[in-house]
Parts: sequence; C-alpha cells; structure tokens
Amino acid sequence: MLFTEVRGLPVLAADGGGPLGTVTSLTVDVVSGAVSHVRFRDGALGRVGLSGRVGLSGRIGRSGRERAVPWDAVDTVAAGAVRLRAAAPCEGAPRAHHDLLDHRVLLDTGTGHGTVLDVAFDTRTARLLALFTTRGEVPAGRLRGLGDYALVVRAG
Amino acid sequence: MNELMAARSLTTRPVVTLGGDAVAHVKDTVCDAAAGSVTGFTLTGRGLLSGSLREGLPWRAVYALGHDAVMIRDRRGLVDAAALTTHRHSLRARLLGAEVVTEAGTEIGTVLDVVVEGGTGGRVVGFRVAASRRFLPGPTRHRRRVYVPRGGTLTVTGRSLVLPEDAVRYVADDLPGLTALVAGVPGRGRGALP
Repeated sequence: MLFTEVRGLPVLAADGGGPLGTVTSLTVDVVSGAVSHVRFRDGALGRVGLSGRVGLSGRIGRSGRERAVPWDAVDTVAAGAVRLRAAAPCEGAPRAHHDLLDHRVLLDTGTGHGTVLDVAFDTRTARLLALFTTRGEVPAGRLRGLGDYALVVRAG
Repeated sequence: MNELMAARSLTTRPVVTLGGDAVAHVKDTVCDAAAGSVTGFTLTGRGLLSGSLREGLPWRAVYALGHDAVMIRDRRGLVDAAALTTHRHSLRARLLGAEVVTEAGTEIGTVLDVVVEGGTGGRVVGFRVAASRRFLPGPTRHRRRVYVPRGGTLTVTGRSLVLPEDAVRYVADDLPGLTALVAGVPGRGRGALP
C-alpha cells in the first residue's frame, strides 16, 4: 500500500465506535526500514467520519490535536480504514517526526535526489518496500537516515 | 573522476549528517600550505542571522563532498575553528588574489578561485585565474578568466603560486574543460584559444 493511500483514512477503535480521527502521516524508523507509528488528528471533521481520501485528508483536521499510535497497536490497514487493537496506547505528545512525503532526498555522496513522492509498504509487516522520488525509485534497503534536512540514502 | 567544484561555490552549502540533519553551512574553505588539498571548512550557523560558528569541520570528518551538501557522519567530528585555521590557508585570507607565475618567471595571472575535487579526496586540482595579457593576449579589453590545472608540483612563495611550465601548456575555459585536462585529455593549447 502507498503512504498517500493511507493518509486520510479514518482511524477506528477496536470497540467499533466512531472514528478517532484521520491519518495525517506515518512515522518511519529508517534503521529497521519499517513504519513505527501512525499519526492521526482528531479534528472535527475526522470525528464525524469524513475520511477525506480525496486529498483533503491531511488538512481536514488541522485544528485538532495530533496523536500517534505505535504500529503494534494497529490491527489492520485496509482500503477503507485503519483499525486499532483493543486498548491501543495513543501518545498525546507526538515524538520527533519527519514526514517522508515531500521530504528532500540526498545521496550519501552529497548529491540531491529530488523529493519523496510516495512510499510503498507492506501493511502486514509495516516494512517499507520502495520509495518513489522525483528522480526515480529508491529501494527501501538503501535508507541511511531521516532528519530535519533530508532523507539520506546510499548511492548505488 | 569526481565532480570538480569551485571552492567559492561551496560557501553556503549545507553540512548534513548521514542521519539527515543539517548542522551548519560552509563559510570558507581551508587549504593546506601547499595548496594541494582541502583541510577543512569554517562554518556559519543555519539561521538567516546566525554568524560564524566557533566550530569548524576538518576534512577527516567529511564523509563526502557533494554537489548539494557536505556529508558528515555526525556532528561529533566538528572541532574548534581556531585550531583548523592555524598555519593553514583560508581561501579569502591567502589564496584569492595570489599571483600565479611559472618557474621560468612567466606571469600567468591572479587567483580568482580554487577548484577542488568532490567526493572523499579533497584534492585541489586547479585554479580559476584572471589571466594576464602577456599570458593570453587577445583583443578583449577584459582579462580572460581561465582554469589552470594545478599540476604535480606547486610551490607557494609568500603570496605567489609557482607552477611548472608544463602545468600551463593547456588551459580550460570552464570546469568541464578542466575536468578533461586533469583527466589527461590534452585539450587546446592556450595559443589556439579564441
């Protein structure tokens, strides 16, 4: 599944209640090469169940509080929603986070490699499969670091 | 060969860790006494109004000098900037404006910039020179800007760089031309240049 497909999905609690919010981004741990957290915002529109899958998603809930749940707390990520396990621990204060989408990409040789357009990942294991940048595809195994300035990837 | 870069173009280039964090910008390039290699960089902070940093970046801490960033492993490699510039030549302080002459005393011109090789070597491969009229005679009123390869031997005497005669047999008009010259392609003799 692609990051842009997940962004904007409603986040549903295990008890079957209304949406907790909508996904704003996915936090990536470049060391393990996997998604570590799902971040979502409980904006007003998110509460009434608008998934915002037509590109509005990330912006719908800007007024709301952003929260994050570890990937272990995610039960399923399907086409329609992100469903959490029972008693999923939501972290009120988001950890240091750099959104991969639109982030600058640098090769470790110091040469720019465009920006991140999208990321493919396995929804069962959370492992990243590939990154799609404005300069082409980058295998997920080449990630070296993700900081405030750039995503650093191994050159060749 | 790695990409060649004019040292002045390195100013403001970000210094980025392999973890993706920018820690500073390049302020100036520091060369060794023989103008043979880059020994490090002085730095400025990242903010618009931030001034020079007290820390400098020694070349040994550079992971790679690239077209868009100077890559370092982490910021633990930074050292006291004063130690970095002691007995070494910052571009502005010593090399820019230096006279370039040959061993036979032919005046070549004055140094406008230093050309370094990117990647991991930090080698100084040539100079951008405002050529003297005697070295490159021509109809133009302005002094020609040419790229002169450093050559294997170079002596720094005060504010003068003394090159062997062979080093200035060919000159280049641009960085790609200098790249070819340094790689061993003879190029054009200076007399044949327009």
